[in-house]
Amino acid sequence: MANQEAGENPIKSEGDIVTCRKLIRNAAVAAGFGMTDVTRIVTAVSELARNVYVHSGSDGVMRWEILHQPGQIGIHLEFEDYGKGIPDVDQAMEVGFTTAGTMGMGLSGVKRLMDDINIKSEVGVGTTITVEKWGRAK
Amino acid sequence: MDGENSLSVIKLKNILLVTVPDDPGDDIIHELQTKVLHAIEKYQSKGLILDISSVNILDSFFARTISETTQMVALMGGKTVIAGMQPSVAITATELGLHLGKAISTLDVDRALDIFTDNFKLV
Amino acid sequence: MNHSHSNSKYISNFNSWAEQKRFVNFTDEDAALLQKLHPFAVDYADVFVEKLYEHLQKFPDTKRFLGDEKMLMRLKLAQKAYFMDLTSGDYGEGYFKSRIKVGIAHQRIGLPPRIYMSTYCYYMQLMIPQIYSNPTFDVETANGIFSALHKIINLDQELAISAYIHATDEVISRQTEEILEMSTPVIQIWEGVVAAPIIGMLDSGRTQQFMERLLETIVQTNSPVALIDITGVPQIDTATAQHLIDTINAVKLLGSQVIITGVRPVIAQTLVHLGIDLSGIITRPTMALGLKVALDKLSIKVVDVSKE
Repeated sequence: MANQEAGENPIKSEGDIVTCRKLIRNAAVAAGFGMTDVTRIVTAVSELARNVYVHSGSDGVMRWEILHQPGQIGIHLEFEDYGKGIPDVDQAMEVGFTTAGTMGMGLSGVKRLMDDINIKSEVGVGTTITVEKWGRAK
Repeated sequence: MDGENSLSVIKLKNILLVTVPDDPGDDIIHELQTKVLHAIEKYQSKGLILDISSVNILDSFFARTISETTQMVALMGGKTVIAGMQPSVAITATELGLHLGKAISTLDVDRALDIFTDNFKLV
Repeated sequence: MNHSHSNSKYISNFNSWAEQKRFVNFTDEDAALLQKLHPFAVDYADVFVEKLYEHLQKFPDTKRFLGDEKMLMRLKLAQKAYFMDLTSGDYGEGYFKSRIKVGIAHQRIGLPPRIYMSTYCYYMQLMIPQIYSNPTFDVETANGIFSALHKIINLDQELAISAYIHATDEVISRQTEEILEMSTPVIQIWEGVVAAPIIGMLDSGRTQQFMERLLETIVQTNSPVALIDITGVPQIDTATAQHLIDTINAVKLLGSQVIITGVRPVIAQTLVHLGIDLSGIITRPTMALGLKVALDKLSIKVVDVSKE
């Protein structure tokens, strides 16, 4: 069976956080990421999926895709919710910023785990956070 | 309950050995705190060893629960020792900026037991 | 899903190639002219490929890349498709990708760029008479086709050479990484003690790699103490210090303890001047002294038997 290279998963309940983690772990391992990178990616997924579930106050979805470039493998992840939005994206990226009683590493921590993070947010419309991670192809 | 994906809390003399499954969901993490605190009360344990050698993900929610539980256990007079964290988990936790509060780490359960039996060399 | 491939990790992306097309003035008109040549190029393809390989066989330098009869057949087919693509009229993303692939494949088998370039030269020598002797093309059309062909070949070569260079760069960076790995060994020096001498500066890429190997060795050898020796670190800045602190914290999470050794006077001065606080960490000027601390921690006593 060929490895699946893209897909999506809804984030509607607490249980979906674990489902997202499992899905991405399998995809990242199959794509050939090293052990530490797999842990970084899955941990970022956990933070971002929980972010959708806890903070947005609405349902959301995670979309993912494995990317290939000469000598490299990548993973692209997108978390979209239709919730209240983030009023100040720059502030949300600052170390220690927190709104809902998390430990406050939130997005700035995720940024350290991944190679690239992008946030698009509109108050009252929703938030889309995309992250990318690259590794050496085996 | 399937043994693979559930939490186990075992009483060993005057301490608790708590084993966490590889990919614990939020429900298991909630359960961890409640179960541990009740067991400490019931058995009047000196503390607990949290065996996380199977755990392959530690996010901020899990870390916060460990840190809080350590504080609560301390209030009940006990010590929390974390045993067997995987290297990739430790690296990710450091990069994410996670803190485990006052919990002590050891390489494995054997060394954690040494801490409770007083013949430990490193704290 | 919209994802930007603006990643610097790629050779030259499709957008920059569009820019390159404008740069050499390759227009839709050129594409249309090349398409006019296409049916004749298709008719001529077999003859061309035969002539080309006959030519390549004459030189020992190129002959060795041609392989046996079966391999030769495959090469000829690929070559034919390659040259037919040249006049297909479609120079979109598929074309772009196929040209990059060819560059990478050539680099992999070690085919020198000069052979690749000369093949184009030979192609032109055979094609020019085909263009100008063709009764369906007037002189103006023939001139246009000639110019368009020249442009597309230039674009092709730019892509293939970039891919060549990129692939070579990759080899160099992989080797550099291997050298770095060798320059930071992690060794068990006593039961329960690992040592890692760092030579050179610690940047973030190198720290990640070093951290992984250090932590894995600590777990494999079940060592409660790790000595990180910085004698070979020429100078320390805030970034390097932060990387060291990250490593120390990660080791601590495992349940092991770091002792920093090789703290020379100049390093001590810099650390204090930069305001970097290592007060919670055991530091020693030499690895020998660090080992002593480690053995003390493990309650191990080493005695000189001659003095007993």
